[in-house]
Amino acid sequence: MNPTQALPSFNGLPGNIAPLPVASAPPAQAQGVFDALRNAQAIAGVVILELYRRKDFYVLFVLTALVTLVLGSVNFFGEAKVARYLKEVCLFLIWVSSLVIAITTTARQIPAERESRTLFPLLAKPVTRNQLLLGKFLGCWEAVGVALLVFYIFFGVISGTREHAWPLANYFQAATLHWGMLGIVVAMTLAGSVVFAAPSSTNTIVFVVTAGILLLGRHLNKVALQMNEPLQTVVYAVYFALPHLELFDVRDLIIHNWPPIPWLIWCGALGYALVYATIFLALACLLFRRKAVN
Amino acid sequence: MTPQLILGAGLVSAIALSAALEPWHQSWAGSRTGSANILQVALGDARKLFAKQFFVQADVYLHAGFYPSMFDNKTDDESPRVSALNGGSPPASDGEHQEHDDLPDFLGKPKDWIDAFGRSFFPTKHLHVGDKPAAEEHHEGDGHDHAEDDPSAEGDNGAAREILPWLRVSATLDPEQPQTYLVAAYWLRKQLNKPEEAERFLREGLQSNPGHEEILFELGAIAAEHRHDLERARNLWELALKNWHAHQAGQPETNLLSGAQILGRLAKLEEQQGRRDRALVHLRELVTISPSKAAIQQWITELEAKPSAGK
Repeated sequence: MNPTQALPSFNGLPGNIAPLPVASAPPAQAQGVFDALRNAQAIAGVVILELYRRKDFYVLFVLTALVTLVLGSVNFFGEAKVARYLKEVCLFLIWVSSLVIAITTTARQIPAERESRTLFPLLAKPVTRNQLLLGKFLGCWEAVGVALLVFYIFFGVISGTREHAWPLANYFQAATLHWGMLGIVVAMTLAGSVVFAAPSSTNTIVFVVTAGILLLGRHLNKVALQMNEPLQTVVYAVYFALPHLELFDVRDLIIHNWPPIPWLIWCGALGYALVYATIFLALACLLFRRKAVN
Repeated sequence: MTPQLILGAGLVSAIALSAALEPWHQSWAGSRTGSANILQVALGDARKLFAKQFFVQADVYLHAGFYPSMFDNKTDDESPRVSALNGGSPPASDGEHQEHDDLPDFLGKPKDWIDAFGRSFFPTKHLHVGDKPAAEEHHEGDGHDHAEDDPSAEGDNGAAREILPWLRVSATLDPEQPQTYLVAAYWLRKQLNKPEEAERFLREGLQSNPGHEEILFELGAIAAEHRHDLERARNLWELALKNWHAHQAGQPETNLLSGAQILGRLAKLEEQQGRRDRALVHLRELVTISPSKAAIQQWITELEAKPSAGK
């Protein structure tokens, strides 16, 4: 996108910090997309650097490792090879930690930029609002991806040393599905951070929504079928509309050593994540475009 | 002056009340402060709820994650799901792994495309620890197909161990639940060949449930089958029978299965040792409570026809 085309969307900016028109000739469409991605990736790099510098990830990782190792040292009836309870606890901690990292990191991005007033020079680079949001999304998603990689390597090592088996395909599927689910959560949080005033309210609301979907999403249709009309239609509509984050939770398959999911189904799930992440990201862009940043 | 007087009167009342209540609280049976168990102090009776949850978790592991949630079709009472741990009945003394239908196809047919698609991401096939899920099985969603148990496989016996941590935690939270000890002991001695660990755990259970007839019966089974100490087994079973009689006396619901198991094993033991008269005593009592009266009666007839070799 030509940065100058984004000018009408800068209604909220004071006139003196509106982005300057690009001096060179208007780039071709491909060049525009390339520039947009480059801008977004530059912003994403800053977000990754931020996660790298903050202590959140380290604290959560150390806690996860500590709890897992302490539980792993417990002897149950002299059975040294008991592994599934340990996998269950470790995966639960990984899921909680990853959600905490994803939601809290994303929720503070826009409000922090606005509070520290770094948003104005950022938008004056010129970087469009859409590019800024895309960059923030990519940064948060890539950052939690890096965190997930570390978590799953730890999980694989712990699990492998106990069970003496390395089902790498299963772990790969679990990690990628988990990452795909976090893509939806990050996009949802980004949209929330544009709507809600403070990161704390975004955090709370997204946590409640995410936990609600993970716990009840799979069963909402059963609940709906037990209701009378018109409530049944309303609940069923909610069931179809909400992003089914629980689809990406394959912990039970990993814990109980079930075989990998068919790869076509796995691709379908990632496509589902992509669709919902795009919807939330588009919603965030739409909301941010209309929002006064000063 | 009035506020000071009111304050003074309130203070005196509070001190007087605390002086009166403190001795009562010290001797109150419901007080948590007397317990040395930190879980008892922290959770109170709520720990029993957690204990039950962990016991159910062991059952989830037994079925390799295939388990109904609170939203799925339920059976008509709560116990069958939990008792599925030991094949729908208390631990069978003869070690037979009973075929059971404890978890019917609670999923049913997919209700919509999300439901159908979502079944690829969690276990949807009824298996037990040791059954090997085939690569194409867990996403079929057609439910209830028992794979053949393969006890000779290394992984099979090993898989049974996975339920033990939850049973251990459950027993720690609620030591007064004898079923936890019985189930753990069953798997320890039958599947994992660890009678010593089973006996130790049962003795721990006996300390929390003094004289419990089913725990005594299981201890007797260990003595007979693993230690080959038949005298000890007889003593334990006779004590179990005595306690069973005592417990049944004032109970509105009788645990006939437990009594039948004790009497059956005692009768068999006495018959093996040639004590026909004592075996007949047990069998005549057994015939009154057993559902298979004809088989027991035939056993009695056969035994009566034999010449007595013992006392």
